[in-house]
Amino acid sequence: MRRPLRWSIALAAGLLVLAALVPTFFPQSFTLEHFEKLLSASDYLTYLVNSVFVSVLSALVTLVLAIPASYAFFRLTFRGRETLYRIILLAYAFPSIVVLIPLFATFARLGLVDTRLALVLVNVAFALPFAIWMLRSFFASIPREIEEAARLDGGAPLTVLLRIMIPLTAPGIAAVAIFAFVTSWTEYVFASVMILSDAKRTIPVGFSGIIGQYQVDWGLLLAGASLAILPVVLLFALIGRWFVTGLTEGAVK
Amino acid sequence: MAVTQLQQVSKAFGPVKVIEPLDLTVERSEFLVVVGPSGCGKSTLLRMIAGLEEATSGTILIDGEDVTRKEPSERGVAMVFQTYALYPHMTVRDNMAFGLEMAGVKKPEREVLVGKAAATLQLEALLDRKPKQLSGGQRQRVAIGRAIVRDPKVFLFDEPLSNLDAELRAQMRLEIAKLHRELGVTMIYVTHDQVEAMTLATRIVVLRDGRIEQIGPPSELYANPDNTFVAGFIGSPRMNLLEGRIIGKDPTGRKALIDVPSLQLSGVPVPLRNPGADVQGAVTFGIRPEDLILADDPAKADFTMTCEIVEDLGSSVFLYNTTSRENAVVAELPRATNPGHGERVPYRIAPDAGFVFGTDGKRL
Repeated sequence: MRRPLRWSIALAAGLLVLAALVPTFFPQSFTLEHFEKLLSASDYLTYLVNSVFVSVLSALVTLVLAIPASYAFFRLTFRGRETLYRIILLAYAFPSIVVLIPLFATFARLGLVDTRLALVLVNVAFALPFAIWMLRSFFASIPREIEEAARLDGGAPLTVLLRIMIPLTAPGIAAVAIFAFVTSWTEYVFASVMILSDAKRTIPVGFSGIIGQYQVDWGLLLAGASLAILPVVLLFALIGRWFVTGLTEGAVK
Repeated sequence: MAVTQLQQVSKAFGPVKVIEPLDLTVERSEFLVVVGPSGCGKSTLLRMIAGLEEATSGTILIDGEDVTRKEPSERGVAMVFQTYALYPHMTVRDNMAFGLEMAGVKKPEREVLVGKAAATLQLEALLDRKPKQLSGGQRQRVAIGRAIVRDPKVFLFDEPLSNLDAELRAQMRLEIAKLHRELGVTMIYVTHDQVEAMTLATRIVVLRDGRIEQIGPPSELYANPDNTFVAGFIGSPRMNLLEGRIIGKDPTGRKALIDVPSLQLSGVPVPLRNPGADVQGAVTFGIRPEDLILADDPAKADFTMTCEIVEDLGSSVFLYNTTSRENAVVAELPRATNPGHGERVPYRIAPDAGFVFGTDGKRL
């Protein structure tokens, strides 16, 4: 796991001659030539923008839908709640390749083929069930009395959700956001089929074009791979601080 | 400052009946303590008054207004939870102001009201802290502050002191008593601790299995229990309850004469609640530990017991005749006495002391 990552960064920045050598972590020579070439000569920047657009939007839409849905599953009592709660996991029963063709047909009818919105819809559909499951257990970990106190204080359900529950489940929400983002960031199958024009491709698909049939520009490939992991690393660095335990410390006991 | 009335209120969770239909009136400015063993339904009763639990049947009135189906916030009640239930991400100030904000009180006025409540509870220095920076006692004070600031008609306390250590519990008990005196507001307080019930209440409700066993002022419950359950529950150490048999009445007819084989007692006169009743046969004889008095002259003793365990509390001494707490007969003696282990101690029974209960547990 760690070795390919090290090799990617080391090779991209250091241009070690391929294959014949075992790369070292600290490159013997240093060049940014491959990064320059990547950004100027290829459409990498366009792919990057598309990927960021699709992934950020997918993560946001997932949160906007998953938070109220999981809170409803947690708080409301209605007929068939537990059944419905389990059924939503059926989304994971089918490999994505199985639903690819029918989904393409549906999107074609709706005029969504070759739009980035199509990818957002697909990504959200696949991230949502897990997000709901995860968030519900985070809601369940908040002591009931806190919510009851808020009810006694006159907080309407939506106010309680926004002012009390969301701040207290911040670590869970951050985890779900990262999950949805990374799933979208690495999604390949749908992105390769739904998107037809090069200008709308995301990194995994667009970038695979760099690998030619007969030759591979390893410097370029690895520079691209290194850049592709950057947003994910940044996201973890920014949101990671929310992964703190003991947010509810001092609330009860 | 309201009259709270429960009329035929009951609660069932599915097939499990938690509260049998009961009537209860809490008077204006009263401090009513609901006490009972765990699982007796006392918290459920409180939560129904708060509106956190819907009553299965019956009507709840606060100041004559039917609130049975109203939202908790529309009932004019405030509740202090056992676990404090502070909002951990808010400062003490925001914790206390949240309810006011929800009620649409403007910010300057909120500040004034929070300041006033903070002053009452000596919380001024802590207003900008988060709950995790507070000690247990301070947290509970903030929880009380959050209740006070809304100026409720009825205060509800759900075992508020159970999470505190003994020292702090005693101190908070005094503070709650003081608060009740200062605010003059109706308080309904649930606890399993009969010491809290005795010290705080103007009236106590003893609850068992969702039924009210007895209601009355603490001294009344202590001196005049209706049944063996109340007799055993109120008072610490608990009342000694022993098997006995009525052998007749004394000449006045106001007292029954009882044999208590386990203490080799014969013909002990015990006051009857209802002297006219025809009583005979097997009964339960109840005697409080302090009504067993050390006999200075062994010849005049009513009975003797072996002293198995001595609990010296400093102010007084508890003597147990066996090591099993369930079956032990306990006597409370003045501190000067200090019998040794295994010693036979002579006792007298205090005049006019003792209770007689029928086989169904009811007082005779």
